[in-house]
Amino acid sequence: MKTLHVGIGLLMLALTACGNDGGKASPTAGDTLRYVAVGAPATASHDPHGGIGNQSDLTRFALVYDVLTKPGPEGATEFRLATAFEPDGKLTTWTVRLRDDAKFTDGRPVRAADVLFSLRRIHEKAAENFGRLQMFDFAASSVVDDHTLKLVTPQPYAEVPRALESISFVVPEGTTAFDKPAPGSGPYRMTGGNAENAVLERNEGWWGAKPPTRRIEIRAVVDPQARAQAVISGQADVASAVSPATARQAAQNADLKVVHRPAVNMYPFVMRLDREPFDDPRVREAVKLAADRQELLDKVFLGFGQIGNDLLTPADPSSPKDVPQRSRDLDRARELLKEAGHADGLKLTLATTTSYPGMDTAATLFAEQLGEAGIDVEVKTEAPDTYWTAVFAKSDFYTGFFGGIPFTDVARVSLLGDSPTNETAWKRPEWDKAFGDALATEDEAARRRILGGLQRELRDEGGYVVWGTGDGLDLAAGKVTGLPEGPGFDSAFIEQVRVAAP
Amino acid sequence: MIRSVPAAAGRALALLAATSLIVFWATELLPSDAAESKAAGRATGAQLAALRAELGLDRPAWERYLSWAGGLAHGDAGTSLVTGRPVGEMLAERLPATLTLAGCALAVAVPLALVLAWRVGAAPHGRIAALTAVAAAVPQPVFAAALVALFAGTLPWLPPVSLLAPDTPPLAQPELLVLPALALALPSAAFGAGMLGGAVADTLRRSYVRDAAARGLPPARVALRHVAPLLAAPALRILALLTGGLLASTAVIEVMFGYSGLGELLVSAIGTRDLPVVQAVAMLTAATVLSGLATADVLAARHREEPC
Repeated sequence: MKTLHVGIGLLMLALTACGNDGGKASPTAGDTLRYVAVGAPATASHDPHGGIGNQSDLTRFALVYDVLTKPGPEGATEFRLATAFEPDGKLTTWTVRLRDDAKFTDGRPVRAADVLFSLRRIHEKAAENFGRLQMFDFAASSVVDDHTLKLVTPQPYAEVPRALESISFVVPEGTTAFDKPAPGSGPYRMTGGNAENAVLERNEGWWGAKPPTRRIEIRAVVDPQARAQAVISGQADVASAVSPATARQAAQNADLKVVHRPAVNMYPFVMRLDREPFDDPRVREAVKLAADRQELLDKVFLGFGQIGNDLLTPADPSSPKDVPQRSRDLDRARELLKEAGHADGLKLTLATTTSYPGMDTAATLFAEQLGEAGIDVEVKTEAPDTYWTAVFAKSDFYTGFFGGIPFTDVARVSLLGDSPTNETAWKRPEWDKAFGDALATEDEAARRRILGGLQRELRDEGGYVVWGTGDGLDLAAGKVTGLPEGPGFDSAFIEQVRVAAP
Repeated sequence: MIRSVPAAAGRALALLAATSLIVFWATELLPSDAAESKAAGRATGAQLAALRAELGLDRPAWERYLSWAGGLAHGDAGTSLVTGRPVGEMLAERLPATLTLAGCALAVAVPLALVLAWRVGAAPHGRIAALTAVAAAVPQPVFAAALVALFAGTLPWLPPVSLLAPDTPPLAQPELLVLPALALALPSAAFGAGMLGGAVADTLRRSYVRDAAARGLPPARVALRHVAPLLAAPALRILALLTGGLLASTAVIEVMFGYSGLGELLVSAIGTRDLPVVQAVAMLTAATVLSGLATADVLAARHREEPC
């Protein structure tokens, strides 16, 4: 056994040699927030107008660049660079007033021309950002003066302030190089590191409320377990998007806290209305009735979330509140299948993937539940890097994803007749027309009533089984306060997060 | 047998070129491309076509390969299709981290492999040989998980993840290197020892080695004077392979530990079909291994020329 001892000795020696440089502790006092966000190095970018595949990039951009508006509490729109939106009578021309005290870190003032340049650039990259600004006609839009902008929409569009909530990062007019950070006018500026591991320091010249933390480090980490371990072991203060299992464990640890952001993760089962057997509404209803929603919520999200009622955007302010909860009814499901001519059973293939934690569990569990209604389901788990191009919006029956985006966005990308990915083949000219009418309705309550009715119709007759929504779960050290708790884009705004001094 | 340094270098370069073709071709064969990855399934056909044209993906594969190779010949590794950042810069940001990690892992793996190989060679059916064979068969992630469970869980001595501080050399936080380095080194050492053990056993069976031992020379002297010279070339070859295997394993280990090195970049670049990035990382790894093999070839040839 002597050789083994020698081996262990050598091993220790080598490790000591490796570790001989002496440690330099990174600054952990109350003036630094170390934030670990979802992100892969291959998609880490300095371009705030394209796809923004990484949450770490989105969070950094939201600190470095100003936006026109952002999501506020209770579905309200919070104004940032914009101070007022004034529509004309037809709701097709909007005068946008900008604050006059914003300036880029290179000293130049933020002008309407910079805003229009940035919006146009976002629109040019429509293929990468799901056509976020496709409701605008930027050729017809123009600069009125340094702090006033005229935005034109080809169709009446009452929700312009909300349409700009998602992404409107403003860079100086004429910026062409995005292989490094462009000057911003946001609450922080980037002073070191790189796109995957950025060092930001407070921009003392920002117009808004002074952020409490002097320095924020944002790091992209792919693996959810690694993100969680970073906070548990004290290498980071906040980890975004941890697993439900981690959240459950952390609940027993007094030094940690879990922030729940409602309705962030939704894995609906998607049925195509233009293919058999889902072209028969009775089959769709049977599938919806076969779902044991509570079991899915308990096993996929460990109960952190809400059961679904087949409404695609339950957190949207226009989501109808008076729809009775659909609950499991196997007898009725079997009856419907029989009426639809499937008395001898029905064979289906349900595709899923592992892109988001629990997507595969959801499909497997749902297959079992459908089995109890006499539907024989084979689950096919596909590779995550081709799922969104080969299966998504193509297969008859698969597991989809929505990440807490507003109803108008969901409609634009997935529900209108000309949507790029109308995944359920929901093609109803009258529904589209009502959607257009809603957006031509200036009165907010009336508009929301119409939009709510559209969501109800989709719930009853459409191809989505929305069995539940999972909370977005962020893990933080106990000393961290002020983390955003809203759904969707709101989570990127962390400039008011505070770290108590030790 | 290759004797001259230029010939060995030439062969290594030819192999490197072949590797670049194979990597390019293999990535081409994967379904989907960088444009689809950027559009994430939410773009129309026309938008996708425009995006392909913008990225130059509408050109035939051979044309893209040649323009990439031409750029590389002039020291330009190209631009990432996904982020628009220069590939050279993306690599330079991460190279020190992976070099440090691989260096530490080799510093553990090489001596350990030599010591184990000696034991395996001396007793090919002994307990150590069996243990080494088992250890070589355990996948790296299993080693990593076990190490984390032991040294970051049961015994809370070391951090379970290795997040490097920004703008700080990796060696400034040595405690972050220990577990990922061990997770890379231990299975590699066992693998290397298994391969080298056979060569040791062969050498030990040679008559003059047995004679020397029979003459009563001390074992250490036999090892150094009679066995080691014969083993130099195979050992170097195995070292080159071991380095290659180790660099390949960084892909898994870096993701597990959140360690921002080239392996982590490679994994996500394959996922997004970012060919210039995949090619560049693959070339770096292949160049390391091939130069090691070339050196081993030259050494082996030199040794053979010497009169015995």
